[in-house]
Amino acid sequence: MGLRNGPESFGLVSRLFHWLMAILVLSLIALGLRLSSMEPGLSNLWLYGLHKTLGLTALGLVLLRILWHLISPPPGPMATGWERLFIKAWHWTLYALMIATPIAGWAGSSASGIDTLYAETFVVPPLVEADETSEFVWFILHEIFAKTLLGMVIIHMLAALRRGMAGDGTLTRMLRGKA
Amino acid sequence: MLRPRHLALLALLAAPASAAVVDYQLDPIASTVAFETDFGPDLITGTIPLELADLSLDFDNVANCTVEVALDVTGAKASFPFAAQALKGPKVLDAKAHPRMTFASTSVRRAGDAADVTGNLTIRGVTRPVTLKAQLFRPQGSAAGDFSHLTVKLTGRVNRSDFGATGWADMVGDEVRIIITAHIDAKG
Repeated sequence: MGLRNGPESFGLVSRLFHWLMAILVLSLIALGLRLSSMEPGLSNLWLYGLHKTLGLTALGLVLLRILWHLISPPPGPMATGWERLFIKAWHWTLYALMIATPIAGWAGSSASGIDTLYAETFVVPPLVEADETSEFVWFILHEIFAKTLLGMVIIHMLAALRRGMAGDGTLTRMLRGKA
Repeated sequence: MLRPRHLALLALLAAPASAAVVDYQLDPIASTVAFETDFGPDLITGTIPLELADLSLDFDNVANCTVEVALDVTGAKASFPFAAQALKGPKVLDAKAHPRMTFASTSVRRAGDAADVTGNLTIRGVTRPVTLKAQLFRPQGSAAGDFSHLTVKLTGRVNRSDFGATGWADMVGDEVRIIITAHIDAKG
C-alpha cells in the first residue's frame, strides 16, 4: 500500500488528507454555527480562537493537498461521460470553497481590527484593513461559502454512500486505497 | 481601588472657612481611570491612563471648583487582550484618529457628602454633557484641615453609542461605568 496515488487507487497521503479535512470541515461548520448563535462571554471566547486556528489549519491542509495532487495526481471519478465531468466539477467546487471559506473568514477577522491568532500564540498578518463595511461583506461571504460547502459535502457524502452501497468501489478505495 | 489610608471621606460641608481656591496637580502614576461594561454574562474591565488633570478646589464654595482631565486613549488596557484591541480600534474609541479623551467641568454642585460635577466629555471627537459624582478623601492620619494631598473619586456612566463608539454592540454593553481615582497634590 503506497503513499502515492495510482491510476485507479488512492494512496495513503491523499486518503489522510481527505478524512482529516472531512473531520475538520464538519467540525468547523458546526463550531461556526455555534459561534453565530451563542451569547459571547469570557467563558466561551476561546471558541472563536479555536475556530480561527482550525480554519487556518484547514486552509493550510487544502493547499498542501493540492500541491500533493500536482505531485501525485489522484484517480478520476469512477463514472463515465457527463456524470464523470459533473463529479469532477463538483470536486473542484468543493476545493474552491475549502479555500474561499477560510480566506473570507480570515479577511473578515482582519477587517474587525482585532488580531487573528493561530493557536492562541502567533499573530497572523491581516488580509485587509480594518473597516466595518468590509468586515460585514467578508463575513456574509464566509457564511454563504460555508453553508454552500456544507450542502455540497452532505450531497458528496450521500452520493459516496449510494455508490458504496451499490458496490462500485468508490467508498472502498477512499477507505482502503483500492476498489 | 481606594487604598485604606485614603478612606477618610471629606465632608465638604464641614470644610474649614480658611481655604480659598487651591490648585492641585495630579500624581498620574498613582491615579487610575477604570471602566467596566457588560460582556454577555461577564464584565470587561480596564483602565485608561490619565494624561493630565487640572483641578482647582474651593472648599468654601463648591461651585467654584473646576476639573479638567485628559486621558491617553492609546494606552488603554482591558481585562483580556482582544478587548483592549477592540477598545482602541476604529469601531470603538478609534485611538489612532482620537488619541485623547477629555473632560472639562462646567458646573459643580454639592450633593450631600459628595458633589455633582457636570461637564463636557469628549470621546472620539464627540462632545456630550455628563455628570460625574465626585468624592474627596484625605489620607488617613492626616490632620483634619490638611488638604495638601487628596484623593478624588469620580464615578459616572456613559452610553458609548452617544459618542459613536458602537463597535460589537451585539456582544458588549452600551453602558460604560467609569471610576476615576485621582491622587492630587496642592501646588506650591
